[in-house]
Amino acid sequence: MFTELNSILNASPDSITPGELIVVSDRQSDASFLVHHFLSFYLRARCKVCFLGLVQSFCHYSAVSQRLGLSLTQAKERGQLVFLEGLKDSLSILIPQERNAESQAMDFLQDPAAGLRSLYEFVQSSVTGSGSSEDWGPPVLLVDDLSVLLSLGVSAGAVLDFSHYCRATICSQLQGNMVMLVRCSGEEEEEDGDEGSERLLKGLTHQCTLTLHVQGLPTGFCKDIHGQVEVCRRRRRGDLQHNQNKLFQYKVHDKGASFFARGTSSAVL
Amino acid sequence: MLSELLQGTDSGGLLVIQDTCRYSGRDLLRSFISAALSRGDVVHVLGFDVDEEELKDGLKTPDSQALHIHSAYADPLGWNDHSAFTVNNFNLEELTNLVKQTSDLKPATLVIDSLSWVLRHVAPPAVCRILHQLRKGGAVRTVIALLHADLHQRGTVGSLSHLASSLITVAPGVRANEAVAKITKHLKSGKVIQDEEIFSVNEDLTVIVHSKHPEHKQNDAEEEQMDPTANLTFNLRLSDSEAEAKNKLTLPFVFSKEKSETFSRCFFFKHCKTFQFYLKCIKCKNNCFVLQENRSTSSRYGFWADSL
Repeated sequence: MFTELNSILNASPDSITPGELIVVSDRQSDASFLVHHFLSFYLRARCKVCFLGLVQSFCHYSAVSQRLGLSLTQAKERGQLVFLEGLKDSLSILIPQERNAESQAMDFLQDPAAGLRSLYEFVQSSVTGSGSSEDWGPPVLLVDDLSVLLSLGVSAGAVLDFSHYCRATICSQLQGNMVMLVRCSGEEEEEDGDEGSERLLKGLTHQCTLTLHVQGLPTGFCKDIHGQVEVCRRRRRGDLQHNQNKLFQYKVHDKGASFFARGTSSAVL
Repeated sequence: MLSELLQGTDSGGLLVIQDTCRYSGRDLLRSFISAALSRGDVVHVLGFDVDEEELKDGLKTPDSQALHIHSAYADPLGWNDHSAFTVNNFNLEELTNLVKQTSDLKPATLVIDSLSWVLRHVAPPAVCRILHQLRKGGAVRTVIALLHADLHQRGTVGSLSHLASSLITVAPGVRANEAVAKITKHLKSGKVIQDEEIFSVNEDLTVIVHSKHPEHKQNDAEEEQMDPTANLTFNLRLSDSEAEAKNKLTLPFVFSKEKSETFSRCFFFKHCKTFQFYLKCIKCKNNCFVLQENRSTSSRYGFWADSL
């Protein structure tokens, strides 16, 4: 959990804004440090967290969280964290001998055209199911990352359907939060239209309440500034539309990240 | 023209509000719902994008008998098996029944939030056909639809724009809370009117049109920006007298004819071991200039001020 980012976003683990849908995106850069931030943030906030880890193994997330001062294994044992290890589960579908028929979540791999209903049902059961004795806070869904689903053969429309259902259940019905990561590979302002990740990102931007867009520095590589993150808050219910854009530069450290206004890096001043 | 469209003075048709992810057109859409309700029209809303509460938020009469919300937000595809209305119901017969079963003999206004959701699951030609037939059917007087233009291919957006009798494209304005609406209206005579207006939506969903000529407005905004050259502590340009004085001035170390004559008259050369020539002034007996032999191009000499 990065305290600097919390103050930028006006958030703290003690008071969670209900119904927030946060879209984290990156272009020619890596935004996974934000996923680790949100994972530790919501675990500290005592939320019931469902994590769809599609790009890395559990050990990876666990090791990073250890550095941020949290034990994912303990959270899992206490029933606070439901972790879907996409790499392992997809293997058991793709190689039928190893199949142990534990979870139906990755069943969409057999027929990607059919949509992500099985994955949604997994999410729904994990956020509503009361598998533990302790009483956890509002449910949270974290996805790292959605564009992997596109690579697995699912259409952008089906992913948007999935995110819509998750939003209806978690954000609207249960007043929880969602964080989704989307990676864009192409150049900005490409008017191709058929680029799946662009369409996915735009569709999610229409649904979300907050976007965090991570980019590399436009002026090129720098040792002391790893990139810039654009924070854009879209309207919430109650107040009328005012899109606020803020741009910060960041540097990722060993155990956290620092955010500063443009041009105010310690290496420059 | 935006306020005319809100008043609904024309005889119905298909009104499409196009937005992008930079500015959401939903506030304007809800203003249209609010305006239609205050006129006393029966309004049916097909809600896919947002839930019922958010649609009703800000309406003067949220529990009005004239407002019927068919929300497909919670279960638009029937995955949870408890939805009355799903995207599969988006066809002419079911929509007509839906509108007819509740409303009186009065033709109703149908609001679709949003067409982008429908277009993801129903083929674009079918959507266009249904929208066209709804207008002809008689049960629906006006169809108002929101379309996220950046989610679809240009052809799909183009064919819906052609179908629309009025098209409003919204984009963010120069100032906060303001937006620009580009309006294209097809009259029955075949005439096409285009207009561009700056508007803002209040909390009670009334629309205020600020200006009908946004170009001038933008120019004004540019002029209002602070002039960076104001209040400088120095002049950027010279006045005529200053320029004259500057031209008169001879700069030091510029070798002119008079100077070379002075050199020949008042200095004598003194040879030094390190290939340097000292020029000594006869009058003041000081070493004034050092003349050093340039070894690479021995024909040239450089001058340095030594103890001026």
